[in-house]
Amino acid sequence: MNFYLAALMLGLGFISLGFGIFISMRIFNIPDITTDGSYTLGGVISAIIISKYGSVPVALLLSFIGGLIAGSCTGFIHTKLKVNALLAGILVMTALYSVNLSLMGRSNIPLLNLPVVFDWFSFINDAALRELAILILITLCLLLFLSWLLKTDFGIAMRATGNSETMVRSLGVDSLKMKIIGLALANGLTALSGSLITQYQGFADINMGIGIVILGLGSVMIGETFMNLFKVKSIFFRLIGVIIGTIIFRMILAIVLSLGVDPNLLKLITALIVLIVVSLPNLRKAL
Amino acid sequence: MKSILSLILSLFLFSCNTPTNKKSSVPVVGFLDLLQDETLAKAKQGFFDALAKGGFSEKDSTLKVIYRNAQGDQPTLIQACDYLLSQKVDLIATNPTLSTITAVQKTKDIPVFMMVSPSPANAKLNDKDGNPPKNLFGVYETLDYIDTSVALIKSILPKAKKVGTIYNQAEPQSVDAYNEIKKQCNKSGLLLESLPVNNSSETQLAVQSLINKGIDVFFALPDNTVFASFETIAKTCDEKKIPVFTSEAGLVARGALVSYGADMYQWGYQSGEQAVQFLKTKSLAGLKPELVKVRKMVFNKEVGAKYGLTSASIDEFNK
Repeated sequence: MNFYLAALMLGLGFISLGFGIFISMRIFNIPDITTDGSYTLGGVISAIIISKYGSVPVALLLSFIGGLIAGSCTGFIHTKLKVNALLAGILVMTALYSVNLSLMGRSNIPLLNLPVVFDWFSFINDAALRELAILILITLCLLLFLSWLLKTDFGIAMRATGNSETMVRSLGVDSLKMKIIGLALANGLTALSGSLITQYQGFADINMGIGIVILGLGSVMIGETFMNLFKVKSIFFRLIGVIIGTIIFRMILAIVLSLGVDPNLLKLITALIVLIVVSLPNLRKAL
Repeated sequence: MKSILSLILSLFLFSCNTPTNKKSSVPVVGFLDLLQDETLAKAKQGFFDALAKGGFSEKDSTLKVIYRNAQGDQPTLIQACDYLLSQKVDLIATNPTLSTITAVQKTKDIPVFMMVSPSPANAKLNDKDGNPPKNLFGVYETLDYIDTSVALIKSILPKAKKVGTIYNQAEPQSVDAYNEIKKQCNKSGLLLESLPVNNSSETQLAVQSLINKGIDVFFALPDNTVFASFETIAKTCDEKKIPVFTSEAGLVARGALVSYGADMYQWGYQSGEQAVQFLKTKSLAGLKPELVKVRKMVFNKEVGAKYGLTSASIDEFNK
């Protein structure tokens, strides 16, 4: 399978994560650290359901619901118990580590020879093409659903809550409830991403979520840089920006891996290339 | 604007032209490493030394090695594995467990030679009939060595009653090793005090806490967190005159009293010997995942002198 095609597919698997971070970051101005935990939670729930019952739709659904619950907890702690947003996320993420470990019973569950979502569409013979088709379909569904949701009255109220909470309260919107629902949705999407990646990589591991919020934030920011280039404001194109950002991030890593640099410098070079890519618009003016 | 975009695009397309390899006569070996660790590096060294002994080495241009290290990041591990597969390597060597699991999931044809991994059964890689994946070879370790290690405690320090240990629950082999130690201690009539740690910064506190519980002996089990923070463990235990037993030979040089277990270098070497056979005969006949052959006992004389123990008393046990 072409290496860059594989990087593209891995990037598509992380799109849901990007959407989740987009919602929590851009709509609520809350960088949600819960992501590390809910991503792993999604993967863990999927791995357990698939290995015990072999049902993929149930796995995807329950992973999403698990993320919803995790996000609601963070939302509840932040809004009702008045705990700082960052701390609320950290607390839930830390607690989820134990939850995930207890659910799995071990630190790693491989999904060798078990049914995964990428077995659907069996009429396509080429495995890589099949995986790509399924991922593109899922991405399209999420994109259309979210851009629709964020344009409804409810969605606009959610976006307004992030923009100006006092204004939105004066208009009669329950901003606390909005935050809880928004965080729940964001983490549900993150957990869905965890589920997809677990099925793609073939195992769930307790450490799979470490640093994933950084990956998501980076993807969203890279996407934003490109969308700012084209000066778009429409939510549909901002979501497309997230998709582009996630894929670019994975492609950059793929390029660095194929360059064959000193393994110790892998992360430095990745960071440098990302820096160049996002600062390109301003590089000319700066230099 | 347009020039910037065209620059990015051309950079991208340029790198897309990576030649997907010219089927040359020189075998290509891919090595998938998870993180930067001194102990794991020994296994890698052993693997390549075995290949060199078998006549395959980069220096003589009889071998091409593609080495990728995921630097501890799991998505990177997946992409690194994808890269190795895209380069159409003749075999993939994997070190440690997570690399093995990733490689086996990604390819069913290219042979995977594992090292520093648990048995396929313990890693849950076997199918319903209990057979490991067809393309999995290499060397694994079960938990049998733990029985001998614990018996060592009883024989060298017959007066010991409490054993202390720490482990990271996130590492699959640690939890299995911990359960085995618990079982063995129960059998030998030793009391086991244990604490979980999540990363190497928590080690000192955990060890202090165990010492306060009155342990006589500390057991360092095969856990990357323990390996990383071993100096802290050795120093803290040494101050309170608590000897450290372990299953990892490399730790003895760093201050443990005695170790019994698989030698990392030999582990990689044994796996390398399997790889040599495959590369020479170009056939996988007769190859299958095998148990580590070389387990040895290593004793630190300096540390032993502190506790009034000499290698003579150890040799006594060896018989």
